[in-house]
Amino acid sequence: MHGANPLFRMEGVSKRYGGVRALDHAELTVHAGQIHGILGENGAGKSTLIKIMSGVVAPDEGRMTLDGKEVSFASPAAANDAGIACIFQELSLVPHLSVADNIVISNPPKRFGMIDRKKQRAIAEEALARAGAADIHPLALVRDLPLSRRQMVEIAKALARKPRILILDEATSALTAADVSKIFAVLKRLREEGLALLYISHRMHEIAELADVCTVFRNGSNVATYEAGTKSDNEVVELMIGREYTNVFPPKAPVAASDNPPVIECRRLSWADQLKDISFSVRAGEVVGLGGLDGQGQRDLLLALFGVLRGVGGEVLIEGKPVRIRGPRQAKGDEIGMALIPEDRKTEGLLLPMSVRDNLSFAALDRVARAGVIDRAAERSRIDEMIRLLAIKTAGTDIPAGALSGGNQQKIVIAKWLMNRPRIILLNDPTRGIDVGTKQEIYQLLRKLAADGAAIIFYSTDYDELIGCCDRVLVMYDGGIRRELAGDGITEHALIASALNVEEDSMAEAVGA
Amino acid sequence: MSDISSGRGRNGIWKRIDPAVATAFGCIVLLLLVGSLYSSNFLHLEYLLLQLKVASFLGVIATGAMLVILLGQIDLSAPWAITTGAMMSCAAAAYGPTGVALAIPFGILCGMAIGIVNGIGVAYLRIPAMIITLATNAVAQGLMVVYTGGFSPQDEATEAMRYIATGFLIPSVPNAVLVWIVVGAGAVFFLSRTTFGRAVYGIGNSERAAYLSGIDTRRILVLAFAVSGGLSALGGVLLAGYSSKAAQSMGDVYLLPAIAAVVLGGTSILGGRGSYLGTVAGVILITLLQSILSVMQIPEAGRQVIYGIVIVVMLLLYGRAPASR
Repeated sequence: MHGANPLFRMEGVSKRYGGVRALDHAELTVHAGQIHGILGENGAGKSTLIKIMSGVVAPDEGRMTLDGKEVSFASPAAANDAGIACIFQELSLVPHLSVADNIVISNPPKRFGMIDRKKQRAIAEEALARAGAADIHPLALVRDLPLSRRQMVEIAKALARKPRILILDEATSALTAADVSKIFAVLKRLREEGLALLYISHRMHEIAELADVCTVFRNGSNVATYEAGTKSDNEVVELMIGREYTNVFPPKAPVAASDNPPVIECRRLSWADQLKDISFSVRAGEVVGLGGLDGQGQRDLLLALFGVLRGVGGEVLIEGKPVRIRGPRQAKGDEIGMALIPEDRKTEGLLLPMSVRDNLSFAALDRVARAGVIDRAAERSRIDEMIRLLAIKTAGTDIPAGALSGGNQQKIVIAKWLMNRPRIILLNDPTRGIDVGTKQEIYQLLRKLAADGAAIIFYSTDYDELIGCCDRVLVMYDGGIRRELAGDGITEHALIASALNVEEDSMAEAVGA
Repeated sequence: MSDISSGRGRNGIWKRIDPAVATAFGCIVLLLLVGSLYSSNFLHLEYLLLQLKVASFLGVIATGAMLVILLGQIDLSAPWAITTGAMMSCAAAAYGPTGVALAIPFGILCGMAIGIVNGIGVAYLRIPAMIITLATNAVAQGLMVVYTGGFSPQDEATEAMRYIATGFLIPSVPNAVLVWIVVGAGAVFFLSRTTFGRAVYGIGNSERAAYLSGIDTRRILVLAFAVSGGLSALGGVLLAGYSSKAAQSMGDVYLLPAIAAVVLGGTSILGGRGSYLGTVAGVILITLLQSILSVMQIPEAGRQVIYGIVIVVMLLLYGRAPASR
C-alpha cells in the first residue's frame, strides 16, 4: 500500500499567528485506504494543520498536492470541492433544522431554484446509510437527537459531500465508549471503501485501535511518522514531549508552605456534568496548578470558584469559614479577596477601546472613589504603582489598551486585579499567546505574590509552566481531579500520563527500562 | 498592531477630539452658512437663541437616549415616556396646591417608572431592549389613552412648568436652555468622574468583561434606563410648559431625532464609545436641520426621509470602525 502514490501530500507548510509559530515546515503524507492518526500536545500544531488542509486558513508558505497535482484552497468550500471534508470538535449542526436539511446545508439540491425536498431526502438517506445510521429519520429535528446520534449526522453530513479525505478532529471527545465503538466500525468500513481518514485524538487507546499510521507533532513540526503498533505508549509520550526545555522559571520556595492553614478549601464541588466531586485546598504562599488536557473542566472550576456559574454543588471555605460566592462582585470584596485572570483577555479581561487608565482601575473603582465619585489623584497614584510593579510598557495611560502588545495587555489584566490586593488569585491560562520575556516576568510575579502570602490557582495548557511554577499540580480528567502531583513528582511523564488517563505503572516500568 | 503608530502620531488637540464630533460641528457651521444664503436671519443672535431653546427640549431627551446607547442598548419608549411626563405633571396640577408643587417631580417619577420596567426587563429578564421598550411604550400609551379618554387633556401646565420652559432667569437666555445646561453638566460629571460612568462605558464595550470585573451590571442597566425614562419625562414636562398643556402623541416626533442626535454626535450605536460634547453637537445639528428644512418649506414627511438618510450616512462613516482597537 505504501508503494502507491500518496493521495495527499503537504510539504514545508508553515503558519504564524502574530509572533507565534503555529506550524513550522510541517510535512504530511496521506494514503487512500488508511486511517492516519495525528498525535501531539496542546498547541503542537494539529489544529492549524487541519485548518490549512480544510481551507479555513491559508498557509504562509509550503505546498500541498492532491493526486500529485498542486492545490491551494481559498475557502472551506474549495477544500470541500476538492474532496476534503472535516468534522470539527464542536458540532456544526443547526439544532432547529431537520437531519436532511443539515446534511445538505451547504449545497442543497435545487429544482427551478427551489430546494428539491425529495432529492434532498434521498441524499440524506444515502449518506446516513453510509454512516451506519440508517435508523435516524431524515426529517427528525437535530435538537431532538442525543449527542451520539448528532455525531453520526455530522459524519453523514461530511460523507454527503463525497469526500476522498475525511478529517476527524477530536470527534469522539463528547461521546461515551459505546458510541465511540459504533463510530469506529463506521470509520473502518469507510477505510475499506478507499477513503483516507485523518484522525486526531488525545485518547491514545483510540489511536492505537484505529490507526494504520501515526504522525506525532511537536512545536509545529512533525517529529515522527510510524506504523501503528510499532511504538509503545511511553515512546509516543517521549516523542510528544521532546527535549527542548529551557529553564526560565524562578526558584520555588525552598520549604513548601505546608504549615500555613488553607486559605481556600473546596469540598465535593460539582456543577452540571462538567465538574465532578472536586475537593482540594490551597494554603497561603502556595502555587497550585491545574493540569490535564484542554477542556477537562479546569475553566469551569475557576469560574465556579469565582461565583460565575449557577447551581454549583458542594462547599467552599475561605479561611475555614463556609461561604457562598454569588458573583464576581462578592468574590472581589475584602471578605473573600479573590481575583480571576480570565481566559480571553480581549473579550473578558480588557475593554480594548478604553484607555489603559480606565482598564487598570476598572475592577478597583470602589477603592479609589468616595460616594461613587472617582478620586483622580488616588487613581493615578495606584495606577502608576501598578505600571511600575509590572513594568508595563505603554506610551501613557490615555491610549487605548488595544494598542498595546499582547504581553503588555496581559500585564494590564493582571495588574487591574492586583489593585484589589487579592489573597486568592485564579489564573486561566495567563501566558497563552504572549512572548517568552513577558511569560518569564509573569512567572516571577506569581512567585513573588505567593511569597507575600497569596494563594494561587493556576491553569495552564503548557506543561512546562506547570512543572516550573507550581508547588502542586491537580491533574483533571473528565471533570474530576484524576491525580495530585507534588514537589519532584511533577514531571512531564506524570503529567501527560495522568492527563491521558494512562496507567502510571506501565509508564513507570517503561521509564525504568 | 499597525494602529499603534497612528494612535501615537496624532498629538495635541487632535488626539483628544473625536473626528465624529468635529464633523458634527463642521456640519453645524455649514448649515448656518447655507441657511444664511437663504435668509440673513440665520446668523442673528435672536434666531440662534431661539434655536437653542428648541434644541434644549431635544437635548434633555437625547441625554437619556445617549446613556442607554452607551450601554449598547436602545430606549424606544421615549415617545410615551415624554407624553406620560407631560400629561402626569399637568394632571397633578389639578390636585390643589400640593399637586401644583409636586407636578414636576411627579411627572419625572412617572417617566422613571417606565424606565425601571425597561431596565428590569433588560437586565433581569434578559428581554432584548428593542422589544421591552417598545412594549412599555405601548403600555404607557394605553394607560394615557385610558386616563384622557383619547381626547386632548384639559389639565393646564403649572406656572412653574411654564417658567422653566419659557421664562428668563438670566435675561435673554431661555430657562429651557439653562435646564439643558444643568442636565448636560450632570451627564458630563457622571460619565467622566464617577464609578457609574466608567461602568456604563465598560458595559458598553464588553458586558462580559465588566461583569467579570465585579461590576454589578444589572444594577447599572436598571439605573441607566430609569434615568433615560426620567429625562424623557423631564423633556415632556418642558414641552407641556412650553405649550401650556399636554397633547396626545406629543412625544412621537422626538424618538428618531433623539437617537439621530446621539449617533450623529459620534456615539457608537453598539455602545461603549461617545462623548457628551458630540451629543450636544448632534442635537444642535438636528435642530438646525429641522429649522432649515421648514424654512425651505419641506413637509414633515420629507424631513423624516432626510433624517433617516442622514443617520444611515453617519453610521456608514463611524459605525463601522472596528470595536476592538
